[in-house]
Amino acid sequence: MKKRGIGIGSIFYGTGYGNGFPDVSKAVAQLKSDGKIAIYVGATEVGQGAKTALSQIAAEVLGLSVDDIVFINEDTSITPDSGTAAASRQTYNTGNAIKLACEKLKRDILEVAKDYLGLNSIVGLTLKNGYVYPKTLPEKRVSLGEISESLESSLKEEAVFTAQTTEMDEETGQGAPYWPYTFSACGVEVEVDTETGRVEIIRAVLAQDVGRAINPELIEGQIDGGFAMGAGYALYEDLKIEKGKIKNNSFTNYLIPTSLDMPDIEKVIIEDPESTAPYGAKGIGEPVMIPVAPAILNAIYDAVGVRMTEIPVTPEKLLKAIKEKEMTYNEGKN
Amino acid sequence: MKKIKLTVNKKEYMLEIKEDTRLIDLLRDVLGFTGVKEGCGEGECGACTVIMDGDIVNSCLVLAFQADGKEIITIEGVESEEEIHPIQQAFLDVGAVQCGFCTPGMILSAKALLDKNPSPTREEIRAAISGNLCRCTGYNKIVDAIERAALYLKRGK
Repeated sequence: MKKRGIGIGSIFYGTGYGNGFPDVSKAVAQLKSDGKIAIYVGATEVGQGAKTALSQIAAEVLGLSVDDIVFINEDTSITPDSGTAAASRQTYNTGNAIKLACEKLKRDILEVAKDYLGLNSIVGLTLKNGYVYPKTLPEKRVSLGEISESLESSLKEEAVFTAQTTEMDEETGQGAPYWPYTFSACGVEVEVDTETGRVEIIRAVLAQDVGRAINPELIEGQIDGGFAMGAGYALYEDLKIEKGKIKNNSFTNYLIPTSLDMPDIEKVIIEDPESTAPYGAKGIGEPVMIPVAPAILNAIYDAVGVRMTEIPVTPEKLLKAIKEKEMTYNEGKN
Repeated sequence: MKKIKLTVNKKEYMLEIKEDTRLIDLLRDVLGFTGVKEGCGEGECGACTVIMDGDIVNSCLVLAFQADGKEIITIEGVESEEEIHPIQQAFLDVGAVQCGFCTPGMILSAKALLDKNPSPTREEIRAAISGNLCRCTGYNKIVDAIERAALYLKRGK
């Protein structure tokens, strides 16, 4: 028999290294001779979209299009340390460092533009689409390329962002181990085949607090990907380690979800800007995955009334649990 | 050694190969089509997918001599001289690429599907790419992209 059930899971998650560990990102912003802006960061792109989102932050500060940002990362001989692409920290931590570096560079650019244009002050100077001009007199303008050419050495600024966390008290467990926190919730409907123990995810919704969505399309991609990993964690993926060696080191015996295992997901992006974040944006890489497994296990409970306490919930384990429950029920009747 | 003749991306090649050379090694190491990716090397992940006479194959499981007389398409042969293929455009427009390792195989599986079935349902798309594993995207934007590619291809005709 096929039985359906629904379940939800919700989480909060502290991003960054946390627990008082120094969490530092550095960034360098430079005005190039052609008027474009080079950003140097040691932030690794692994498909999550760091290059895109971080370029957008730089472009936003400097009033430019993303095409005017030359984003240089992953070359450790010329980039500063921006920490690891881990702990869902690059958007918040390196994003903040880039924003600070670009703000400093912007001030330098305005100072040079002030002299170039023969103005008294940088007050009211606008930097937009590659030009600097007084808000009140847009015809009087100078391009970033002209500014760069007028200088003997290029304008360059470095900034450091250090996140605020404290160690937890060992005795009481109290403290402020992470900042910022992010929140998410997931709902799924599953169909359990009580004869085979197979669980199919019929539909799903996942809502993620993102602070501010720098790039909604990338966030949707992270939600889909995180859901797939969460579903694999809940239902398929079982790393067998014996004496420090992985026994099932191939896709034949370590199963990950395929396109047929994934439902379409209703994705909800919740924007609640974080005051210490670059334009309010928080990291969401890991958070999108975390509520998925509890939601699925709750849905299995709703469908067949058995509370699974070990993952992955393979067909064999679930079938055994269903049979045990039936036996207990029948014994109770006799 | 064995002499074979095959067509790769519309160009004909006469080659002398060892009997145990895999098609993927011929394509990557001899002919330089490095868009063919080796993931697992045992036919599970689909990263090495190429189109052989209209059907997708895992080029890690095909021996090069089995491609004698066949026509192969790799990701390098999908675009025309002027522009990228509508399926590639759809992947870009939808945001269906994350780390990108599965992408060549995904696009070739999509092409093999759309060449035969220009109006697939989402379920048919899911089935067509079920041999291509992806760890980043959760597949949904890839399915969206193939749906959109079907529209682009119809509009182009």
